[in-house]
Amino acid sequence: MTNDPNIKRRGILRALLAGATAVVIAPIIYVTARFLGYIRPNDSNQTSATVAFSDLTPENPSKLIQINDEPILVVREKDDQIRAFTATCTHLGCTVSYRPQVPDFYCKCHQGRYDVNGVNVPGTRPKSPLTELTVVDKGTELEIQLIPKVKSS
Amino acid sequence: MSIGWKSHLIEALHLPHTVAAIKAKAVPHHRSSIWYYFGGLALMFFTIQVVTGVMLLFYYEPTSDLAHKSIERIMTQVPFGWLVRSIHSWSANALMAMIFIHMFSAFLMKSYRAPRYVMWLTGIILLLLMMGFGFTGYLLPWDQTAYFATKIGTEVPKALPFIGGLITSLLTGAKDVNSTTLTRMFALHVGVLPAISILLVVVHIVLILLLGSGIPPGAKVTGETKYFPDYLLKEVMVWLIGFGLLIAIAVLYPWELGKAYDLANPTEPTAGVHPEWYFMSLFQTLKVIPEWFAIIVFGLLLVFWTFVPFLDRKAHRAEKSPLFTYFGIVAILYLCVMTTWAYIAVGNERDAAVQEQLRQTPRGGPNAK
Repeated sequence: MTNDPNIKRRGILRALLAGATAVVIAPIIYVTARFLGYIRPNDSNQTSATVAFSDLTPENPSKLIQINDEPILVVREKDDQIRAFTATCTHLGCTVSYRPQVPDFYCKCHQGRYDVNGVNVPGTRPKSPLTELTVVDKGTELEIQLIPKVKSS
Repeated sequence: MSIGWKSHLIEALHLPHTVAAIKAKAVPHHRSSIWYYFGGLALMFFTIQVVTGVMLLFYYEPTSDLAHKSIERIMTQVPFGWLVRSIHSWSANALMAMIFIHMFSAFLMKSYRAPRYVMWLTGIILLLLMMGFGFTGYLLPWDQTAYFATKIGTEVPKALPFIGGLITSLLTGAKDVNSTTLTRMFALHVGVLPAISILLVVVHIVLILLLGSGIPPGAKVTGETKYFPDYLLKEVMVWLIGFGLLIAIAVLYPWELGKAYDLANPTEPTAGVHPEWYFMSLFQTLKVIPEWFAIIVFGLLLVFWTFVPFLDRKAHRAEKSPLFTYFGIVAILYLCVMTTWAYIAVGNERDAAVQEQLRQTPRGGPNAK
């Protein structure tokens, strides 16, 4: 510590300069952060899509569609039951495909696997299952809704 | 010790000479030393342009379909987007104003004399580059004024013999101003011009560091201020005033966005289409004398202006050169008079258009039966 008044004054001036700099810089950082932090909403507020029965044949039993930027796999199973799953791999976000000959859901990026119910196969990379979505039968068409299917117990 | 790591870093970066040069730099006091601030102000506005320009790049979409919509989104949806765009537009104008003041003060102070002529040359190229930024940036919002102003601007070089057509087609990339032109203007505005400008700004600053401030011939130097930290602190205060004014203007008078131009549904230009103020004197000159003649005269004047350091032999010997001073004053007067005239002419054109519309409208207003 020193008692020299000049050195004390210098300390006060330095603190004032630092404070003034902060007052100028802080709003610039705030405005820049808010500006760059904007997330653009989807242009479409789609919550469902339709698929024709005829699109799903025994030879081509799956179809990849998109609802609100989310890839969805619609699958016709061996017993002609139609189910829909979110197609985004829960590992690192690749799009999974349906392999009817196994049958399972397979992610080509890191060999991730899910069983026919969308449950991740232990020992492969994904740690959580795909989400099954609600499918409503509308006669010749099916409506796929972006709502998780309610599991009947 | 704090001194220890600092000197280590300076050694490691091979900066001892630079640091010594900064420490040795002093700014002289004389009756014209106030003009030294304008170069620093230009540098500040240039920096603001780079920062806000990069920020706008995060959202701007450079196609004729999306450009106007993306700026609308920046101004209405993105937080503070209106402010960032307003700052970018206002700061562009402030930058041009500072550059003109900086250039004319350097001219009248004869700061171009040896050994500083490379500074003058880089300064002239920077002026042209900044005008290029203004011209190419004008089209990017893709509104109606921008569209027609760019059409006129890209047509002007056509008056030049032999190479005119080539210059125009290089700028437009098509027979007419269209989506390709927008892509080209965008490429120039965010790629070519910044790359060259930043390099030249660095050269310009390194030179002022090495050569020091120019003192007008015959000026009485009454003292000097050490650049670091005394003069720099003064300069920062001036920057703060400039920055404060810029923000105040950008907030109180947000830069407007005109109606989108639709290539599929061509419209007529509104009366009084004109470029930015720093092109207005050229614009007015082109109205009163033939284009080819104007281009040749302005071309020769630019060559003269660029090579003034080599022509003004008296200033070179640190003598007064009143002839060049008068030339500078005439140039300033010419720019002021022509710019004022241009704005009066534009105002008259708009008034005439309103009168014309009134004459064509039936009595009792447009809805009269």
